[in-house]
Amino acid sequence: MRNISSVLGRLAKSISISLVLLFAVTTTTQAQDAANGAALFKSNACNSCHAVGKKLTGPDLAGLTERRDEAWIVKWIHNPQGMIDSGDEQAVALKAEYATTMAPYASLSEGDIKDIIAYLQAEEAKKKEKAAADPAAAGGSSASSDANNLMIIGLIALFVVAVAVIFALNRVTKTLERVIANNQASIDAAQAKTDEEGESGSVKFAKAFLKNKKLVFFVVLMVVGLLGVAGWKTMWNVGVHEGYKPVQPIKFSHQIHAGVNQIECQYCHGGAFKSKNASIPSANVCMNCHNTITASDHYDGNISPEIAKLYRAVDWDPESRSYGTNTRPIEWVRIHNLPDFAYFNHSQHVVVAGVECQTCHGPIQDMEEVYQYSPLTMKWCIDCHKETSVNTDNAYYDQLIEAHDKLKKGEKMTAAMIGGLECGKCHY
Amino acid sequence: MKENMLVMNKKNFLGTVCVAVALTAVVSSCGDGTTRSAGWEFSRNMYDPIAFNPDQPNKNFKNNSTAQTPPQGSNPIGFERFEYGNSVEEYERAGLELKNPIIANAENLKEGETLFLTYCAVCHGKEGAGDGTITKDREVEDSRGKRALENFPPPPSFQKSSGTPSSRGGQMSELTDGKIYHTITYGYNAMGSHASQISPEDRWKVVMFVHELQKK
Repeated sequence: MRNISSVLGRLAKSISISLVLLFAVTTTTQAQDAANGAALFKSNACNSCHAVGKKLTGPDLAGLTERRDEAWIVKWIHNPQGMIDSGDEQAVALKAEYATTMAPYASLSEGDIKDIIAYLQAEEAKKKEKAAADPAAAGGSSASSDANNLMIIGLIALFVVAVAVIFALNRVTKTLERVIANNQASIDAAQAKTDEEGESGSVKFAKAFLKNKKLVFFVVLMVVGLLGVAGWKTMWNVGVHEGYKPVQPIKFSHQIHAGVNQIECQYCHGGAFKSKNASIPSANVCMNCHNTITASDHYDGNISPEIAKLYRAVDWDPESRSYGTNTRPIEWVRIHNLPDFAYFNHSQHVVVAGVECQTCHGPIQDMEEVYQYSPLTMKWCIDCHKETSVNTDNAYYDQLIEAHDKLKKGEKMTAAMIGGLECGKCHY
Repeated sequence: MKENMLVMNKKNFLGTVCVAVALTAVVSSCGDGTTRSAGWEFSRNMYDPIAFNPDQPNKNFKNNSTAQTPPQGSNPIGFERFEYGNSVEEYERAGLELKNPIIANAENLKEGETLFLTYCAVCHGKEGAGDGTITKDREVEDSRGKRALENFPPPPSFQKSSGTPSSRGGQMSELTDGKIYHTITYGYNAMGSHASQISPEDRWKVVMFVHELQKK
């Protein structure tokens, strides 16, 4: 029995050594293949639907060669629909599972496909290596045990020091008591002297201060002045929310989305083109990107907790990539609150006047958390309206000039011709 | 003695003033000028709308929100119904039957370009080569430190020179009016529906501009 196991062990050893050697020989050629594969994977837009370690529109390509043999893969890439039609079991299963059937890539040669496979294997190995090197994953346990040892040693050292300190203090107390006992007479004399002097220094100071009427008047004046200025400023800023930065239900960063990603403001706030409100995007707009983006790289492969909040709101299941019916709105906190008696229209400013969003909203692209940049007071509006020259390059001013020309020529002009039949003129 | 006291008072007074000024300067320069509170408000009822704003909570509805999904089968005023369903067959049918109803002129094309740059270029790239900003490697540095951001899978290029095939058959550069319109409306593969963001008329303007990019 023992003999057999040792023979088996030796056999396994020799096989593994030869495999390692084979691997070492092939790696150099594989590197070239993988580089070509990477280029092909990109140029043929394979990465639009596939990734290694993640299911996108198409299946996750990690472990591809374990699932399928190379001949099958080549055949599939050349003609997926043909394979489905011929009734290949795996092909039919794929068709049933995924909404999209892959496009045929007949132009890729067998060598090309092998290169792509080499690239995929290299990627997978790289991912595994990274996961192994990640201290949070594999190295985590040893690191934490080290920390524990360090803490225990530290605690023992602290205890020893504490005992030493207690011992030393005890001796100091005893010495001091002895000193007091030796000098009792002189201490009593000193005590009697301070009692005679009576009032303390601060009371004396206060009395002298109150006698100096000019100084008292000046101090009172200063206090009244300061309170006045503070009060004046506070009163003027009642209802002005400049710098208001409320805590939002999701830690959405405009710095990432508008700054680094360079997503246009109107991609999400499209209302600024068309209407009075710039509008808070509905969550389906978020899902245009976040059906794929989960930021799992930063959370040990889990979905970012902030993105998970979005998934809960729209009831999206990232595993099955499908929506449920149990949706609930995200209750964003409104930052810019214009009073109901003031009318402001975004499209008039953004489309007609061509004002940049940042003119009023400040450096949004740098704000990790958004705050109100402008005071939104009437004075603020008026100051800008006094300085800004009108952009006359639009149909409104063409009509205006036309109307004036008609007036000059003495033609008849009715109220209806200048918008007098607009519903909103009477019904608002 | 009294004179001496006064001198001391003056010194103390000056000292106090200096400390007060320094303290004010320090306190007022604290923070970045932002606050979690909206501050004092006066006659709040003049600010709050009498009617409900769409983004306000509303107890009159079961789900407590003012903005409600329209009842099934109802059409808002001015709504243009798209008579094709969300399936591969309907996509093919739209591709064969639909023609861009918008007049092809420079003005509409320019608007199409603006819309494309706003709603599409972030993934598809400014030239439609599938190299938009969110498909590329990029880094952010904020309160959580410096880190790389996840890339969105790049869409296939629809430029003629790239020769990329579409997963629904044919070349990306040969996609017809109806196919592009159908894709914007319903979304496709990794792309979501953009119907809520782009109006039907604007979608046709985008289609017009995409055709320009397909020629490249």
